[in-house]
Amino acid sequence: MIRNLNIILIFTSVVMLSGVYALKFAIEHTASERTALIALIDSQEGDLSVLKADEAVLNQPGHIEPIVKRHQEALAIVPVAQKQFGAFADLPMRPAQPDNAALDALLRSLDAGVDPIDAILTSEGIE
Amino acid sequence: MAITAEDFAPTIALDGTRKVRGNMTQARLRWVILAIVLGFATVGGRLVQLGMIVPDNSIEGVARAEITATRPPILDRNGLEMAVDIRVPSLYAEPRRIIDVEEAVSKLRTVLPNLSESWLRSRLTGDKGFVWLQRELSPAIEERVMRLGIPGIEFLTESKRFYPGMNEASHILGSTNIDNQGIAGIEKHMDVEDVALLQDLGLARGNALTPVQLSIDMRVQHVVHEEMVDALTRYKAIAAAGVIMDIHTGEIVALASVPDFDPNDPSTALVKDSFNRITAGIYELGSTFKTITIAGAIDSGAVTLNDKFDARYGIRYGRYTIDDFHGKHRVLSVPEIYKYSSNIGTIRVMQAMGKENYRAFLTRMGLDTRVPFELPEMRLPNVPKNPSDISAATMSFGHGLSVSPLHMVVAMSAIANGGNYIAPTLYRRSLEEAQSEYVRVLKPETSRDMRYLMRLNSLEGSGSLTEKIAKGYRVGGKTGTAEKVENGVYSHSKDFNVFAAVFPMDAPQYALVVVVDEPQVEEGGLGTNSAYNAGMMSGRIVQRIAPMLGVAPNFSQALDDAMVPPNLIR
Repeated sequence: MIRNLNIILIFTSVVMLSGVYALKFAIEHTASERTALIALIDSQEGDLSVLKADEAVLNQPGHIEPIVKRHQEALAIVPVAQKQFGAFADLPMRPAQPDNAALDALLRSLDAGVDPIDAILTSEGIE
Repeated sequence: MAITAEDFAPTIALDGTRKVRGNMTQARLRWVILAIVLGFATVGGRLVQLGMIVPDNSIEGVARAEITATRPPILDRNGLEMAVDIRVPSLYAEPRRIIDVEEAVSKLRTVLPNLSESWLRSRLTGDKGFVWLQRELSPAIEERVMRLGIPGIEFLTESKRFYPGMNEASHILGSTNIDNQGIAGIEKHMDVEDVALLQDLGLARGNALTPVQLSIDMRVQHVVHEEMVDALTRYKAIAAAGVIMDIHTGEIVALASVPDFDPNDPSTALVKDSFNRITAGIYELGSTFKTITIAGAIDSGAVTLNDKFDARYGIRYGRYTIDDFHGKHRVLSVPEIYKYSSNIGTIRVMQAMGKENYRAFLTRMGLDTRVPFELPEMRLPNVPKNPSDISAATMSFGHGLSVSPLHMVVAMSAIANGGNYIAPTLYRRSLEEAQSEYVRVLKPETSRDMRYLMRLNSLEGSGSLTEKIAKGYRVGGKTGTAEKVENGVYSHSKDFNVFAAVFPMDAPQYALVVVVDEPQVEEGGLGTNSAYNAGMMSGRIVQRIAPMLGVAPNFSQALDDAMVPPNLIR
């Protein structure tokens, strides 16, 4: 009875021992992976900071203006002048509705062969 | 024969087997207990010893966290980066781990030939745990040094401050030293405020810091800076500076002063004359001061726009006679005094107000104290405390008192925004925040009268050259041409020129002050008077920046007519 128990205990401890060792190695592996990832993130953050700085330089008005000046002739561009600005509010109002009834009357009288201008010219004594 | 106990040999007593075994077990138990106690004591002692160790995190006296600490990025008002941190490798050595110093020296010098051999040798010899060799190197050099494979030579990633705008905003940003601490400008102010605290707490690591947003608009800043640099060649001036302020919120939109320096190379900041002329330079600002004098007199009620003053003759003070530069020598109304920039007229206006009242008004406008501002580079203005009659007379037209151009732009803002003094700031400030800080220094009616006068000067007076360039943007401004003091007397050949303006005058938004030191006649130009340099520079600046600031041109005569005060008799 006690012998069987001992055998079981020995087996259990061997299994647990190997389990603990496997766990240890797994953890060590994970830790080294983590360290590698941290180093990678660190270097990528470094690269990112340099790229961001690059982007900031390229976005500076002081960097863009010389480029614009260099290509001013080829692109035919000049700085905007005051008179080139406009706004919708500056547009003149639409003229009042055309007088459709008067136009119709005029066309009808022309169709009938009567040109109202003749009457005016006659009254003015031109014709 | 006596029998004594000594004569007997000890009695031989034999213990039983059981007893012997019992004793032996007890002895063994004691040994085992002793061994266990010793074992635990050793482990415990080692634990205590480990607990006692203070880890040395400092690098040559500076905490490691402080060196790797980052600073928050600085953005302009549109979110464009003005200062960012970049990660750079720095080379250090651990001399106690170096096996062959000579080999290390010769190998290192193949990659870094600028390091002196003897310096490197002395640096690598010894038992130190940490010495810097060279800081802030490029990743390419890091790669090459790592390839050498010298034991005890390592890299540490540091944060280095980088200013993508180079010179353009140098006087605003200031600079940082190699340990990433602010040594000038807003960088220094930020350290004093909160970054130093964050770094102390060890929180300033990684890129998680909230960016700091400034009130500067880099586009406007670029234009102003370019115009200032241009002035050095166009007018052969020794220096030029300009500042633009939002008159309602007090936000500084642009601030440039040349000669300047490259904040990426802090040693250039030590070059002579590259100080911030807007905040740390105090000057006699000449006729631009007439705006302030007349504003004070009108506000006191002693003078109205309809008053007339005798400007026929110069005013005598003992041996001195103060006369007008281009004198009309007749009786002048207040708008005429301003328009023709009459010294005599301005003195009369000041006298009508009283010199004590005038002096008190200067205090009210904050002209005799330091402007409350973030930049550490500030200078106290020089304004006589109890001016004599002649001193008060010269002060009225801007001589005999020295203030910074920043004082002038703040005063211009108060005059144009309806009479509220608002301290300038480099940080964002909303209109509501600004309004809660307003201090009323002028009546709204005075502000209205002054806006009319300033616009009038642009239409008919010394500001007409500016108006010609920036037509449509309704600039109102005053020129100032001050002769520089040389060996105690005013020089006739060396001027300090100023232009103080506000635009657009019908609904004022921005105040602008431009100063030029010792300008010469422009090629093909007509004179050294302020209108020909500071005035035209202001015109060019406004012409370029007004569209960026959302000010649309308007050529309508009605706007100018609407600015004429109703009580003015013409």
